[in-house]
Amino acid sequence: MFYSIRHVNLFRYSAPVRESVMELRMQPRSEGPQTLRSFQISTNPRAQLYAYTDHLGNAVYHFNLLREHEELRIEAQAVVEIGAFPELPEKLDALEWGRYNSYNLHDDHYDMLGHSKFARPSPELLSFMTIADLEKPAGDPLTALRHLQRTIYDSFEYKSGVTEVHSPIEVALEQRLGVCQDFAHIMIAIARGWGIPTRYVSGYLHHKGSRDRSRADATHAWVESYLPSLGWVGFDPTNNIAPRERHIRAAVGRDYADVPPTRGTYKGGADSELSIAVSLEPTAAPVRHEDFLKVARPMSATPPTPSMPERLYLQQQQQQQQQQQQQQ
Amino acid sequence: MQQEAFANTEDFGGPDIVAVPGRLARPGRDAPYASYELARAFDEMFAADGAVRPPYAALDSRLSTLSLEELSRRQQACEQSFLHQGITFTVYNDNRATERIIPTDLLPRIITAAEWARLEAGLTQRIVALNMFLRDIYGDGRVLKDGVVPRAMIFGSKHYRREMRGLPVPHGAYVNICGSDLIRNESGAFVVLEDNLRVPSGVSYMLANRDVARRAFPAVFRSMNVRPIEQYPLELLATLRSLAPFHEDVSIAVLTPGVFNSAYFEHAFLARQMGVELVEGRDLLINDNVVYTRTTSGLKRIDVIYRRIDDDFVDPLIFREDSALGVPGLFNAYRAGNVMIANALGTGVADDKAVYAYVPRLIRYYLSEEPILDNVETFLCREEKSLNHVLANLDKLVVKAVGESGGYGMLVGPHASQTEREEFAAKVKADPDNYIAQPTIQLSTAPTFVGKGVEARHVDLRPFILHGAETKIVPGALTRVALKRGSLVVNSSQGGGSKDTWVLSQ
Repeated sequence: MFYSIRHVNLFRYSAPVRESVMELRMQPRSEGPQTLRSFQISTNPRAQLYAYTDHLGNAVYHFNLLREHEELRIEAQAVVEIGAFPELPEKLDALEWGRYNSYNLHDDHYDMLGHSKFARPSPELLSFMTIADLEKPAGDPLTALRHLQRTIYDSFEYKSGVTEVHSPIEVALEQRLGVCQDFAHIMIAIARGWGIPTRYVSGYLHHKGSRDRSRADATHAWVESYLPSLGWVGFDPTNNIAPRERHIRAAVGRDYADVPPTRGTYKGGADSELSIAVSLEPTAAPVRHEDFLKVARPMSATPPTPSMPERLYLQQQQQQQQQQQQQQ
Repeated sequence: MQQEAFANTEDFGGPDIVAVPGRLARPGRDAPYASYELARAFDEMFAADGAVRPPYAALDSRLSTLSLEELSRRQQACEQSFLHQGITFTVYNDNRATERIIPTDLLPRIITAAEWARLEAGLTQRIVALNMFLRDIYGDGRVLKDGVVPRAMIFGSKHYRREMRGLPVPHGAYVNICGSDLIRNESGAFVVLEDNLRVPSGVSYMLANRDVARRAFPAVFRSMNVRPIEQYPLELLATLRSLAPFHEDVSIAVLTPGVFNSAYFEHAFLARQMGVELVEGRDLLINDNVVYTRTTSGLKRIDVIYRRIDDDFVDPLIFREDSALGVPGLFNAYRAGNVMIANALGTGVADDKAVYAYVPRLIRYYLSEEPILDNVETFLCREEKSLNHVLANLDKLVVKAVGESGGYGMLVGPHASQTEREEFAAKVKADPDNYIAQPTIQLSTAPTFVGKGVEARHVDLRPFILHGAETKIVPGALTRVALKRGSLVVNSSQGGGSKDTWVLSQ
């Protein structure tokens, strides 16, 4: 089936800013059952867009705006076709654990085993693992991951506004509240601790009925874990479902820090405010969107940061070590 | 001013320097060596029996004719010269005024042609292997697949830059400027202590020291066929140019953190010597994926950047977002090939102190050669056997955190108190992968003027290696001196000084 996606980021600045530089990871991936049928991206004010593929295979667009502006609008439109997903087995045999070896794992898998900015162990995480009886995986890796997904789903309440884009998982762990990004990071940290390469997926979810806890018309996040006999398999701890036809993958990374939809800086002493609008509709064939933009609360985009204050500037100059003082 | 200070010490009219090899100066008894101690360490000037080593004969002859007052005058002239040139260095973790001149010692340290030939071959071999290693881990990862180096060590390194994966660099040269630290061990052999592959500094002191030593001992200098080093800035310029071979008129800039950085003097010095722009991050901007510097006459394109800021700070868009020193968008311009950056990003993963232990293996792996220069014996705490050895012998070892430099995050076992050792042991146990240990090494000693005479002080050696289209090592080095008697700490941040290094042409 086809989905048509429209994703708008609107930055408003309290005073004119200049020299905006931005990177965008908004183009849905085209691999496996998901095929990208069309994609357009535009900015207002207009800018020359450049693109590259990062080492994780994500399409990245970037641009700069020298002249002053008080508003920056980035709009991406995509049509994605989702094909049939292979059926997952009920369970795997216990020998699967032994298949996590250097014959089956490559650099990209190993890189999804270490600590990363948001997915790292902490006393709060260990205490949650103890309470929820997650210290050791139960059963084969697939069963264990499904159990982990359900446990996170059952242990946490979905609530937006408690955690922010940059919140470490400890905030969610302490309050047992959070949003998709937090649940994904918690699941990643635990699964990696078990020795299962696990990565973060940013994308969109087509909502159906009220069973989904995450918000409609917003970006979504879930995880993928590597099972040697199946490949990368998705898990959505926010909704306790296996990501399939309704999940549209935009980018993968070690955690959110690798794949924010927008990342940027600007010069000028102004504050910025970000509004995000996402609409996602099934469609028979590629269609044009009308002006039915629904504005949602920003959830998983990084607002651009203003230039750093002078104090920090001086401090950082001094921090550069210059390999001056090596010592025996 | 400096010339005047030296004017009355010129020995142009003096007798020719007559080298008397093997003269017994009896260190510890004769002036000016009355308090010169020959200990366990290898001494650069005196053999164990007190005989002057042949390369130092001319210097010894000259010293025996100079009064202490005269030596003091010349020493003061050297210091004056540094002060006037503004050759200063900033010491951190110090609440007082932080700008200091680097103490300089007027007595040169001498390296023979044969010793240098070996150093040159060994350092070339090493930088070639390290560059192949970097190209490998940011490319196919053959060395990881073959299990020569553990993956966890690379992917867990804080200096590993995933963004560099699959990105080609000119000539496959990631490390264009390297400043390796070597020491001479008790048996007189040079061994490599550290490869500094990120932003090595100190080359300006190498050049400044040459000025003072040449003026302090002009006749000795002339008599000894010392190889010149003054061409370093031009060699550096050629290396930087070779990174952008397709440009006819390559525009180069030195990117400095700014005037408050400890090595700002050097950044300004090198830019001036090369005749290129000295810029801070805020002087640069990216437009349409091309780097420009703001000048009074508008924007000017930059093709090659010799950056003296850490990877983390280069581009707030890609790396540390709170970096105020970097240039947003610089990395993408680099990725597109619109600007070259020396050193390439991500070189720090290869001068990690844990990777250091693997360098001999890397040389064998990539070049099928035996290492010409040895490493200092290194225990990796990530290996359980080594960890136990380290914890049991903390009082004999130097323990270092793998990602740090400059004497930060380390323990010098023999000089530490019991409490310090216990605290450090806890840190090591908590994160063994992050630590390595080495035996305390007796750095060699060299004659150093200390006011009341010439005494032995511990020294190390930092040659500077340039690697672009080809490898070049200017025949010289920065010799750092631990000015406190018995001290092994040569760091300029911790009271070390430096002296000139004379590489002989025959």
